[in-house]
Amino acid sequence: MSEAIETREKSTAPASGPRPARSWLRFLEPRGHWVWIALAIALILPFQLVPFRVFQLTMVLVYAVALLGLNLLVGHGGQISLGHGAFFAVGAYTAAIMMDRWDTPYPWTLPVAAAVTFVLGLALGVPAARLHGLYLALVTLAIAIFLVPLLKRFEDVTGGSMGLTLSKPQPPSWTGLAEDQWLYFLALAVAVAAFALVAGLLRSRVGRALHALRDNEIAAEVMGVRLAFYKTLAFAWSALLAGAAGCVYTWVIGFVSPDSFTVNLSITLLAGIVVGGLGSQAGPVLGGLFVMFVPSFAQDINQGAPGVIFGLLIIVVMYVAPTGLAGLAGRAVRSFDRTLRKE
Amino acid sequence: MADFIQQIVVGLGSGAIYASLALALVLIYRFTGIVNFAQGELAMFSAYIAWTFLDAGVPFWIALPITLAISFVGGMLIERIVIRPVEGAPELTIVIVTVGLFIFVNAAAGWIWSFLIKDFPNPFPDGALRAGGVSVGYSTLGVLAVVGVVMGLLYLLFRHTKIGLGMRAVATNPESARLVGIRVGWVLALGWGLAATVGAVSGIMVAPLLFLEPNMMGGVLIYAFAAATLGGMDSPVGAVVGGLIVGVAETLAGAYVDVIGSDLKVGVPLAIILVVLLLRPQGLFGKAAVERA
Amino acid sequence: MKDTAGEFLVVEDLHAGYGDATVLHGVNLTVARGEVCAILGPNGAGKTTLLRALSGMVKGRGAIRLDGADLLGRSPDAVARLGVAHVPEGRGTFMPLTVEENLRLGAFTRRDRAAIEEDLERVYGYFPVLKQRLKQPAGSLSGGEQQMVALGRALMLRPRVLLLDEPSLGLAPLVTRELFGIVQAINEQERTTVVVVEQNAHLALGIAQCAHVLETGRIVLSGTADEIQADEQVAQSYLGYRV
Ligand SMILES: Nc1ncnc2c1ncn2[C@@H]1O[C@H](COP(=O)(O)OP(=O)(O)OP(=O)(O)O)[C@@H](O)[C@H]1O
Ligand SMILES: [Mg+2]
Repeated sequence: MSEAIETREKSTAPASGPRPARSWLRFLEPRGHWVWIALAIALILPFQLVPFRVFQLTMVLVYAVALLGLNLLVGHGGQISLGHGAFFAVGAYTAAIMMDRWDTPYPWTLPVAAAVTFVLGLALGVPAARLHGLYLALVTLAIAIFLVPLLKRFEDVTGGSMGLTLSKPQPPSWTGLAEDQWLYFLALAVAVAAFALVAGLLRSRVGRALHALRDNEIAAEVMGVRLAFYKTLAFAWSALLAGAAGCVYTWVIGFVSPDSFTVNLSITLLAGIVVGGLGSQAGPVLGGLFVMFVPSFAQDINQGAPGVIFGLLIIVVMYVAPTGLAGLAGRAVRSFDRTLRKE
Repeated sequence: MADFIQQIVVGLGSGAIYASLALALVLIYRFTGIVNFAQGELAMFSAYIAWTFLDAGVPFWIALPITLAISFVGGMLIERIVIRPVEGAPELTIVIVTVGLFIFVNAAAGWIWSFLIKDFPNPFPDGALRAGGVSVGYSTLGVLAVVGVVMGLLYLLFRHTKIGLGMRAVATNPESARLVGIRVGWVLALGWGLAATVGAVSGIMVAPLLFLEPNMMGGVLIYAFAAATLGGMDSPVGAVVGGLIVGVAETLAGAYVDVIGSDLKVGVPLAIILVVLLLRPQGLFGKAAVERA
Repeated sequence: MKDTAGEFLVVEDLHAGYGDATVLHGVNLTVARGEVCAILGPNGAGKTTLLRALSGMVKGRGAIRLDGADLLGRSPDAVARLGVAHVPEGRGTFMPLTVEENLRLGAFTRRDRAAIEEDLERVYGYFPVLKQRLKQPAGSLSGGEQQMVALGRALMLRPRVLLLDEPSLGLAPLVTRELFGIVQAINEQERTTVVVVEQNAHLALGIAQCAHVLETGRIVLSGTADEIQADEQVAQSYLGYRV
């Protein structure tokens, strides 16, 4: 009970006072100090770890951005996508093709990849908004499956099954950073921007409409929420984030091929966000950590172990902790906070 | 012309396979309102069970009924253990749970039997019937016959047995079914058991055509979904008709539409699903627009 | 078994509801063997909830006994096996199934095949119209016919207790009267105990021997049908006239 009151106070506090100068930082408000601590750790880590670990953390950030998009759709919008890997792939290929064919400097590929996937998301979002939950899952699954042969078909552009190999972004000399560190900071910058974007979205009318739709579609429609409009928009923003993640993936890996983007990727992403925590802010990061590290540990037991763990965890999470790791972590953090305050 | 008919025959052969898995999907949907994304994986798992018996030297026609029985019990157990706790939960939750089941079963099969492909013997003889330049493989005929038999058995079960009547009652009005004394929980489990059995038949027919490996059914599942969507999610007859149409459409598109070719055939189920959902969401034989809130 | 004619169906201090919302707050009532008992009360009083508790569809605290056997806590199928047939509000028709299938479902818990066939004939005796509609989907029947199907389905259980929830709902007065006549006939010929929830108090009291008035989850008045009929309060609220 007291917990509920606490959180309500916190979330209404920023709106009460006029604080325009800091308004863009509002997304950091709920339990703000934890976000700053996390960010500080994120800034220090690449100087403390070996390049391979830095690479892994970079991939965590890439996944986190994609999961952020999926969370917007599934966690906040209550819609199901089994095909977010497809948007990820489109973002990745957009970047790769631009860099490969036209030697575009890599920073330019990000806005283009985002724009392409946003438009694609809008285009697919229009029929998607008319589909009842279950069928959206079907259609997105079918799209994810269809994408792989499609990529293989247009060989002259996509490089076919062989894929495209690219040179990775090099750190400017003034930074004094190594390649892995530079890539890490690029991913971190994109991730922070993505988090800010989503936080902004959720605080806007879009976020409120999405929550209304998720919690009670019929009531929301009666209240005048334009169902199709917001569903389509959520789909498009969600696609954009997955596309941006795909673009950063291309930078980091320096290689794309159709077999990196099978339907398994889509399903892994769904697993990541469910286990990380649907509808929570920390969910995408925890999901990213999970998707990155659990397979690499479990792989040592057996090739099937990661899947067995993923599958079991998804089911168990849906039974006992629908808010996933983030929900559990949130509980831990709150009790920690409380003990701190008592002292 | 002969070539065209030949393509149709080939299409019917693969269509029968899609139909069998679609039938399993529809069975579960009718009784529980759940679309089971793990259906294909369960079928694959059943095929592995059959393979294990065959590998140990058990003759096919003995291994088959044992496998079906195991699948039936397994399906019921899955309903009782995995699905029961989320009964009545939002659709999103249930879909996610079946996706979790999908991942789990897929990986578990790989863990138990390795991810290497295995040869699965074909129960039907090689060779083909020939007539007027068209040849119909015995295995195509066999698959069609099996699907026909499964359909017939389901028809008998639903129309001419008391259990079947009870199952239909549950599918149409679960509240009222409880009031007349039907154990609805068991009927739901029975539905999953039946679906798993029908799926097992499907898996065992697919295995000799493709190679047996954990991802074997991944490709078939989307065709089965297209078939079930086309026929109507709650119509067993629709699933079979839908499966055959999808199979023929896919084969013809691959053979005669150059842009599609053999590699882009998986676009066909996607197109069918989209068109059906936007134009006639209840499918060809479905009772009403499928909307379970 | 000792003859407890006075208390065949006993409800004691029954609390029941949906989740956190308790609807029944300590209901006490008894129904004698072979009686027709009417449950009256305003909308939302908990009449349907009471019947649902009797048939095991909602959980509750307290006690429900049928001929000495505990009903509370049993699942609906177990209660049905003990001979309680519940015709729910809205009739509970299996729409796409045929009339005959609907009727046969009523006997789902029975094993005595020959007797089932006999009972089918008896149901056709009560409702001759149904015999002409056997192979028709029950959903295609008129409201009155569907109510007959519902009653017939309940009879197929050979029930010891028949629970009827607003059988008159949506029916023309004439049809309703006919239906109540049949309920009375069933009660007399089969010696079936009947608990009938009804808005139309006149009709219900016309065939009932006892009656209970339920208001906001409590029994506020109990008595013989005649006593209740004579009660001024009831007359005002449910019969639409002053005595
Ligand atoms: N499934 C349910 N879930 C929650 N509350 C319910 C449910 N069904 C009924 N109620 C509530 O229980 C109370 C009693 O309902 P009930 O249906 O038993 O009344 P009733 O006496 O049968 O009324 P009526 O004469 O209108 O049929 C009502 O306030 C109703 O809102
Ligand atoms: Mg009522």
